[in-house]
Amino acid sequence: MGKFENKYILITGASKGIGFTLAENLDNLGAKLILHASSEDGINKLTESFANKGHLIFRADFSDPLSLEEAWQSQINQDIKLDGFVNCVGLRSRRPLNLLKPAHVMNILHANVASFIEMCRLVCRKNGFNPGLSIITISSIAAHSGGPGVTAYAASKAATEAAVRCMSKELFKKEVRVNSLVCGQVNTEAYSDLMETKASADDVILERQYLGLGSTQNITDILLFLLGKESCFITGSSIPADGGYLS
Amino acid sequence: MMYCIINDGGDTGYCIVEQLVQLNHEVILIDRKDQLPDSFIKMKSNRFSFYSFDFYQTHLIESELKNILLPGKKINGFVYSAGIGGVRPLALTSTTFVSEMMNANLYAFLEFARLLSKKTRLEIGGSIVAISSVSSIKGLKSKIAYSASKAALDAAIRGMAAELAERKIRVNSIRKGWVEADLKHDFIQDNIALSAQDDHARQLLGTIGTADLAKLVCFLLSDESRFISGTNVLLDGAYTIS
Repeated sequence: MGKFENKYILITGASKGIGFTLAENLDNLGAKLILHASSEDGINKLTESFANKGHLIFRADFSDPLSLEEAWQSQINQDIKLDGFVNCVGLRSRRPLNLLKPAHVMNILHANVASFIEMCRLVCRKNGFNPGLSIITISSIAAHSGGPGVTAYAASKAATEAAVRCMSKELFKKEVRVNSLVCGQVNTEAYSDLMETKASADDVILERQYLGLGSTQNITDILLFLLGKESCFITGSSIPADGGYLS
Repeated sequence: MMYCIINDGGDTGYCIVEQLVQLNHEVILIDRKDQLPDSFIKMKSNRFSFYSFDFYQTHLIESELKNILLPGKKINGFVYSAGIGGVRPLALTSTTFVSEMMNANLYAFLEFARLLSKKTRLEIGGSIVAISSVSSIKGLKSKIAYSASKAALDAAIRGMAAELAERKIRVNSIRKGWVEADLKHDFIQDNIALSAQDDHARQLLGTIGTADLAKLVCFLLSDESRFISGTNVLLDGAYTIS
């Protein structure tokens, strides 16, 4: 019996990076997964990787939070009661203030904040989850320390963490816990893409992240702890997983 | 010095204008409400000008600012004291509700910041101040969207401060607790219904005077605070420690 045998766990943004490693781990531990991806490539990757495993795989556009209710309801049936929800969707943005027009800011906030709140609202409906449900969203050190160009991204992550603090105070009565995991630099596809766009190969963040570049497995290990019963006393918090960056 | 105050009919904005005019600064008030309070009608200062448009429609800001700030006119700073509140449990926190809150508390501010921080509009050494809230760091039931929008504002300020530092421009926000001016608003009435009175009692020093908030804004605009940037200054009457 795996640790998460027959537990229903939803992972949004599951086709890449942290979400994908978490899905692989939970699959090995016996969980029944509901996996989300935004793109067709993502859906194909998930379908190939988890063929014949019985997991649900669905596509939804997080940049359009109004579409999520329908996308979610068409996937989920009454027998599924969630035990965990990990939100790994994170739209990155790097733009100087001069180019930060409202349409761009809205796009980032829709994908990273409004859609997460909407998914929580949908997941926490009556009879949709088991007591003990653990919700975790991936945040970033950008929410806590500023950098030039990351204004919109940092704003979206800080907003998510604030929403988590409020939701935890409302949802504890339903035995739901909500936390955010504040990640430093992690070796993902998004990270390599970002480094390619930079003029210099040196990552200044890593100079302060003294445990070095994180792996998706590092983050997954902490997520598994936060999903499990061992963390039943932790809620409403922003937990750093940053290789020492914020210290 | 010349400053621009962006306000949504709130007493805080009016109070800031009064204090700045008293300090002999030139002030442009941009308000969503087109009616000024009576006290302002008497204030026929040539150092004060007033414009009104619905800047929550963010696409209007760029063209309206062209009429308000003529080419060659530079300001020394601006204050964003507009924004909205609202309480709703998660089950009713619809995407539309979240977007309205983000629009008034973040998008409109960022659009003003984008346009007013241009080299042709903001002097070297200028200062930008936004009014935030302790809700940014303290969670309260049913304040999910409001808290998220204020935390987003606080984080956005850090990013902007890092970017604008090379022109010695400073960006800060004030995390305010319960202020006299807010208690007039309807959303506080909602809050009281949700037993926020207990919450109010946590502010050990009592309700913050509107003038006290305005004084802190004036300090952050002034050169006295020239080494304070990228911070979220607490003005909470000891709320967060209690």
